[in-house]
Amino acid sequence: MPRFSLHRPYLPTRRRDDTPEAGSGPGAPGGTGGTGAPGGPGAPGGSTGSGRAIVRRRLANREQRLLATRAVRDTIVSLAGLVGRPVRNQGGAEIGRLDDVVCRWSDGQTYPPVTGLVVRIGRREAFVDASAIDRIEHSQVLLRSSRLDLRDFEPREGEVTLAHQVLDHQLVDVDGVQVIRAADLYLAPVLGGIRLVGVDVSAQSLLRRLGPARWRLRPTPERVIDWGSIQPFDETGPGHEPEMRFRTTNARLERLRPGELADLLEDLMRPERQKLLDSLTPDEAADALEEMDPEELASLLREAEPGQAAVLLAAMEPDEAVDALRDLGADDRSDVLGAMDRVKATELVRLLGYPEDQAGGFMTTAFVTASVFETVGGLTQRLRLEEDVPDELDAIALVDGEGQLVWDLPLLRLLVSAPDTRLDELVEAEEPVTVGSGAEVAEVADRLIEARRLSVLVVEDGRPVGRILADDVLDALTPARGRLHFPRLLQ
Amino acid sequence: MTGVATRRFRRFWPYLAAAGPGLIAANAGNDAGGVATYASAGAEFGYRPLFFMVVITVGYVCVQEMVARLAAHTGKGLAALIREQFTLRLTAFAVLAFAVANVGLVVTEFAGIGAAFELFGVSRYLSVPLAAVAIWMLVMLGSYRYAERVFLVLSLVFITYPIAMFFGHPDWAQVASNLVIPHFLHSKAFILVGVGLIGTTITPYIQLYTAGAVVDRGIGPDEYQYERIDAVSGAILSDLVSIFIIIATAAVLGGTGALTSAAQAAKALEPLAGRFAEALFGIGLLGASALAAAVVPLSTSYAMAEAVGVERSVSKSFRQAPLFLGLFTAQIVVGAGLVLLPGNLFSLIINAQVLEGVVTPITLVFILILANRRSLLGSAANGRLARTVGLATVILVGSFATFLVVSTVLGWIGVSL
Repeated sequence: MPRFSLHRPYLPTRRRDDTPEAGSGPGAPGGTGGTGAPGGPGAPGGSTGSGRAIVRRRLANREQRLLATRAVRDTIVSLAGLVGRPVRNQGGAEIGRLDDVVCRWSDGQTYPPVTGLVVRIGRREAFVDASAIDRIEHSQVLLRSSRLDLRDFEPREGEVTLAHQVLDHQLVDVDGVQVIRAADLYLAPVLGGIRLVGVDVSAQSLLRRLGPARWRLRPTPERVIDWGSIQPFDETGPGHEPEMRFRTTNARLERLRPGELADLLEDLMRPERQKLLDSLTPDEAADALEEMDPEELASLLREAEPGQAAVLLAAMEPDEAVDALRDLGADDRSDVLGAMDRVKATELVRLLGYPEDQAGGFMTTAFVTASVFETVGGLTQRLRLEEDVPDELDAIALVDGEGQLVWDLPLLRLLVSAPDTRLDELVEAEEPVTVGSGAEVAEVADRLIEARRLSVLVVEDGRPVGRILADDVLDALTPARGRLHFPRLLQ
Repeated sequence: MTGVATRRFRRFWPYLAAAGPGLIAANAGNDAGGVATYASAGAEFGYRPLFFMVVITVGYVCVQEMVARLAAHTGKGLAALIREQFTLRLTAFAVLAFAVANVGLVVTEFAGIGAAFELFGVSRYLSVPLAAVAIWMLVMLGSYRYAERVFLVLSLVFITYPIAMFFGHPDWAQVASNLVIPHFLHSKAFILVGVGLIGTTITPYIQLYTAGAVVDRGIGPDEYQYERIDAVSGAILSDLVSIFIIIATAAVLGGTGALTSAAQAAKALEPLAGRFAEALFGIGLLGASALAAAVVPLSTSYAMAEAVGVERSVSKSFRQAPLFLGLFTAQIVVGAGLVLLPGNLFSLIINAQVLEGVVTPITLVFILILANRRSLLGSAANGRLARTVGLATVILVGSFATFLVVSTVLGWIGVSL
């Protein structure tokens, strides 16, 4: 699925959808001086005029686009083509060959600025600061002065070398929600400096790099993703402070839904996956983990430190956490539980005691109980102070003085009642719909249908111990989903 | 470990691994190519290839250990590692090498299916196209995993080789001396068999498989010490089975010349199974071949998608994953198609192993360089021992392959070495 989302001012918008078929010559009127890249042509307007006019307009548009593309090609520089090219001083003498381009992306700028070059001079790798660069062309780099202060290259905090650490490595495209591998990187002089502006993911660029060296010079901005939608990975070693990174880069990740994050986590390789996890808060990460494929999740938890795995599991919904724990081997499970907060671990161990296919095995214990002696106002006040009320909660279990369930109170009822109403006034005559913790899935489904609710309470000896949400029943009823995975290929 | 029911097809490495490491290892040596090559080597040279197998085993253990270590410490598959660590041109070269080797393997598997059916009197022009369509459909419709279990059970027939070996009353003194006393035969035929033995033992496919399996099981640097035991013992076990096959065949057929049919190879099982030997051999051959005929193209496509950088497409629909499914389909079509060309099926199997043996040194160089790299593995990079053994393996494997290629090319212009 090609993407042409160059929706930044200096690059034209280009979509394959409205590109006319090949074979149309440049005979269209108005050769529009396509000097600058700005102002990507919009799609042709409404259906005014005859078909011929539309064709003419589309041709004009195409012409404009081609010119714009050419202008873009002249402006942006392909990193893959630049590496290995001569670096010349002011006098035009070659001082060495370009080995790599250094970028800094730790300070939260959309387009990371180039901070210097690594130049191979003889057998030395010297660092040339960006201030010494005059111009970066397609096939050479020109420096400002003839005298240079060369020092050996030492990567600094927050800096990456583009050719070695980013090109050909995995990146996350946040807008397209996909994991990509950079086929080429594009540099451009924008915003008062040379910056990394885009990443190329086209097969065409791969072929271009495979071919003769001169092919590499011409950028082929066909499937370019704007760097603004890329979540890069810091390549510095494990000793690096993860907090630093997450402050600066999290804004892009926040656009993602948990399910999308889960997809990305599944597609990334271990080191990148670990970095993505590090840049999320435990709660954000837990939401994503709940959406992951069970097998991938088990693999992720196994390779994480037990301490980290424990924090993640503790932040997940109890029923999801228990499922994940079941998928881990006995050794890993006890490691993780040992590293977990005592109270949370005890709760999870208790849940693990229920067989997986019975109500106790797939209920969640994140539910709210209230005494019938409380008032509506008191309860809402209490919920307000509660740190972590589950969003999907649709009812509250009302219990009497002995902790026995008397009624399952829908949230809406709570909302529309006067604050001073006592909860026992809201209890209705009929029995609340419940299931025992040993109930099979089919029975739970029957009771749900009967109750016409989105959830049903699980009781033991008349006391509420958990709640089963409709989606858990759906999950339990469709165990074959994972197994019948391949047919999706043909849909 | 999750139950088989919750496993997704997308990751098929752990899926096979769930069948038990020992079984997998035994099966690795027991695919159609392996059985045919080992049996043919035993029939042609008797016990003579045994020492060579011991040498290969040392190299194989070393390679498997390096691959498992790379995967455990980087968390990445071999193809992805090569893409990130080498230039794009070298990556393309490596991917091409893996592709050639794996297509050779697919050809082997379909030839195995054809040879198995020929034992039961079914023409390959009927059995191979049907098998190709059936395997393609089974994979696409998602029911392959059930069929696969059947194939796995069928292929267990080859576990009878060690027993057959004892029933065949081999000359144990000869076996012992040929195992430990270094000897090589200087003849083109022996070099050919040697390259075949290398190709079917240190298969490029197994390297991709091992790396993928280690990554997917979530094995990290901490658990690597256990994984090392697994990798090494698996390699040794696999080669033990290979050695049993050579001995069993040598005992019955030793010195009769290279094998040209599955029926001949089946004779090695006669001391055990009598007149059922052919049927037994046919069943095992069919199971092992059909098992691999789907898994090999799938994992090749997976590795290539990984190298190109479209990992995500593996779980997507046909339209969204043209590369992955196109490659899968193409491999089955090419593999089955080549088998339909007239010619001896059994020789085709062995020649495909020779092809693998020629490609193996290329992939080994990549693995050795990666495992030597301190910038990649840090303190887990190859030590002096691994470096030396690795280099020696590459040189041995490389010189065999080079000699074969050079002498073959010189043969075309009339020069014989």
